[in-house]
Amino acid sequence: MGTIAGAFAMSHVVFEPEKCPDKAARVWAGMREIARRIQALEPDLLVIATNDHLNNFTLALQAPFIVGVADEYTPLGDMGIPRTPFRGSREFADGFVRFAAGAGFDVARAEEIAPDHGFAFPNLLVNPGGRIPVLPFYINVANDIPPAPARVWSLGGVMRDFVARERAVAERVVVLGAGGLSHWLCEPEQGRVNEAFDRMVIGKIASGRARELTSLTSEEIRRDAGRSGLEVMHWIFAAATVPRARGEEIFYEPMPEWITGMGGIALTP
Amino acid sequence: MSVAPYRVHRLIQDLNRDPTLATTFVRDPEPLFQQYGIAENEQQLLREGTPRALMTLGVHPNLQMKFLRIRRAPGSGGPGPLASYLRDLQLGP
Repeated sequence: MGTIAGAFAMSHVVFEPEKCPDKAARVWAGMREIARRIQALEPDLLVIATNDHLNNFTLALQAPFIVGVADEYTPLGDMGIPRTPFRGSREFADGFVRFAAGAGFDVARAEEIAPDHGFAFPNLLVNPGGRIPVLPFYINVANDIPPAPARVWSLGGVMRDFVARERAVAERVVVLGAGGLSHWLCEPEQGRVNEAFDRMVIGKIASGRARELTSLTSEEIRRDAGRSGLEVMHWIFAAATVPRARGEEIFYEPMPEWITGMGGIALTP
Repeated sequence: MSVAPYRVHRLIQDLNRDPTLATTFVRDPEPLFQQYGIAENEQQLLREGTPRALMTLGVHPNLQMKFLRIRRAPGSGGPGPLASYLRDLQLGP
């Protein structure tokens, strides 16, 4: 059996530090700390759960769960992210899709993805040089009808079972949920940050009670965290791969200057 | 909040995918409005092109960002929000 060596979650982008240099510095230090911890675990493969921003998966066809199955990806290059190719793993990805099909989840396979910042920025940070093969795992929260948190939690459990039952004994997998926290991008409430919601999410996950988040509906998350705040689904997925783990808040800053709550957490299996 | 008809989203998605189409649109949106079946009131809001107008039309937030970028003059974006962080990772100029 393989091992989930660690699970983490953090926001998946940063903005100009000038408006709030102290908070920006703390956030950046926290993100780099998460990168350091991931690298220290020496994973054989990284699963990064995130969302596309209607660059690869548009409203023309709205699949709820999509994994990249290619052996190599080149970032889209949005936000100035270098278009340096990095490694995927067809063998891991296809194995997971087959396993998930047997567990009641029909996950879409994507051969051609040019990952946008939602994937490419955290990957750039935690996986320097793209040396660790990565599974791009998309939870399509940009959909008009997003998946339910309870389904996301269940699929995280399927990932855990896949690694435990199907992967080689020595394989070490690290899962990173990338996105969030509350933000109302291009909505009338833009600029609002719901610190109470963000701290509730961090608190539940850090205290080993992440499963309680599955009682939320996607509509409730959208109401309390904004449409873009649905990215907390990625945190729920990561937590579900280590369901009884407790964790540690690495950083949290409510940042109306960046129109979002910025957070990061580490879970020890 | 209202949700824009798919024809509006389809137009913006295509503009995002195709830089030549985007250039054509910025120069003269009228032919593409006709081609995509954009209604008169929708045309008015897209011509206005402000965040408020796009919200009123109910454009998907991710597509609002793309539409605003497309209408911005090329080269006006500056170094980008990640520049200093990429430098810190020794990935930027």
